[in-house]
Amino acid sequence: MTAVLEVSDIKKRFGGIHAVDGVSFEVREGEILGIIGPNGCGKSTLFNCILGQLQPSEGEVKLDGRVTTGMRPCDINKLGVSRTFQLLQIFPKLSVRENLILAAQEHKGTMMSRLFGPRDAGLNGAADQMIAFFKLTHLADELAGGLSYGQQKLLDAAMAFMAGPRLVLLDEPAGGVNLTMLGNLRDRLKAFNEERGATFVVIEHNMDFVMSLCTRVLVLAEGKVLAEGLPAEVRANPAVIEAYLGH
Amino acid sequence: MANFVALLIAGLATGALYALVAVGFTLLWQTSQTINFAQGEFVMLPAFFMLAAMHAGLPFWAAILVGLALSVAILGFAFKRLLVDPMLRHGVLPLAIATMALSTFLKESVKTFYSAEASPFPSIAPDAYLHLFGLSVSWQNIVVLGVAIAAVVALQFLLQRTRTGRQMQAAAQNPTVARILGVPVERMILYTFLINGALVALASLLISPIYLAKFSNGDTLGLAAFIAAIVGGFNQIRGAIVGGLLLGIVDNLSAAYISTQYRGAIPLCLLIVIILFRPNGLLGRAEERTV
Repeated sequence: MTAVLEVSDIKKRFGGIHAVDGVSFEVREGEILGIIGPNGCGKSTLFNCILGQLQPSEGEVKLDGRVTTGMRPCDINKLGVSRTFQLLQIFPKLSVRENLILAAQEHKGTMMSRLFGPRDAGLNGAADQMIAFFKLTHLADELAGGLSYGQQKLLDAAMAFMAGPRLVLLDEPAGGVNLTMLGNLRDRLKAFNEERGATFVVIEHNMDFVMSLCTRVLVLAEGKVLAEGLPAEVRANPAVIEAYLGH
Repeated sequence: MANFVALLIAGLATGALYALVAVGFTLLWQTSQTINFAQGEFVMLPAFFMLAAMHAGLPFWAAILVGLALSVAILGFAFKRLLVDPMLRHGVLPLAIATMALSTFLKESVKTFYSAEASPFPSIAPDAYLHLFGLSVSWQNIVVLGVAIAAVVALQFLLQRTRTGRQMQAAAQNPTVARILGVPVERMILYTFLINGALVALASLLISPIYLAKFSNGDTLGLAAFIAAIVGGFNQIRGAIVGGLLLGIVDNLSAAYISTQYRGAIPLCLLIVIILFRPNGLLGRAEERTV
């Protein structure tokens, strides 16, 4: 399998603090890579460096063999990388469907087409399919801000998939989601991976969620890679057990 | 009763003008946290652009177009690039103070370089009354109301029914994610400044025949727009419209039935009552940004 994402010796310093300190890994096509580690170990900073929201102090990021280090987030997004955030980042006063249409890069086109072209930009069908896939059909025309937290998390994930990305970065998708909705979210993500071959990187604290979803797990500690391997291997790794799983 | 209805229509016409100005005020706040204390002077100035164009020999309709273009270019584009962008980096408060200074600068400039006297301004409406069901309503009020409603409907259409409008909403609601998704957030913000430039030009065209073109017109209008935006809800365009209309009606009815002397005080009393009982305004909600 070819590598969709290659991260080489990424470092990010904030003054004297080494938030990310020489992290390297790659993500192969169709893979679900989980990244775990305690708060402050550099997981979200790593995501920010991959998507261009932060420029790494050193190192290189490649997407499909193309160097993306230094590119703007919107340009990296156009290359097929989308993400969700630890804190929900939806558009609360737009409907569920409109959130999805917006996430599908409907802003492409000319100024005239954006002003006088159809409001749905021809994306209504694709949005409705995504809404159905995430089981949100009954909420399609509701304002996103009126949804429950779990439903908003589903919408957030659906938005990340809407543009048909090569790679999706999911930052704590299970955070704050109740057990029922959590199972629903995991099923939808797995189905997306199996049916459409989507490639994910997932940051998560919920170990059961990570172990049941991911095909490979990377463990970070103090900005460095502590361990890497299959979920079962990581679970059995004494250093990980001692440092993170606690049992 | 006929008198009351006529006053109500006149109040709605005044309120529609306040609403136009307040909508621009709200738009700038929603998209870029710009509190424009020169908004009243922004309404005062386009009338002088149009008068200057007419003095240069242009017919009234052409002067309107020149005034509109200059207003969009100077009060929209140049205002954002030369004052808002550099000042906003230092925070909302320095920008607010800078717009207060701009307000004084514009007022005194017109007074010094054009005239301190009020200048007559031609009206786009005929100087006549419409008599209907025992009512006498001036065409001036009807045209003001009609044009203001058309402008607000056009704006709502842009925001609610076009892809550009959706991007403007996205830029206002969540600029970080909108940027990542490739929405040209800076351009969307610029659009709101250009729209505000057009709205104040329209308001100036409609209000100047009534109040005459005078350097101090902005004092009343700026305050009225500010009150209308707060009364309606500072973070809602619908709030600005409702606030403007309410203020216009209260203004006219209080002048007729209470006292012309207290006319200026009544809107302020309304503002105090609203802030006291509904601090977010009639339609506003806490911590919400939308256009």
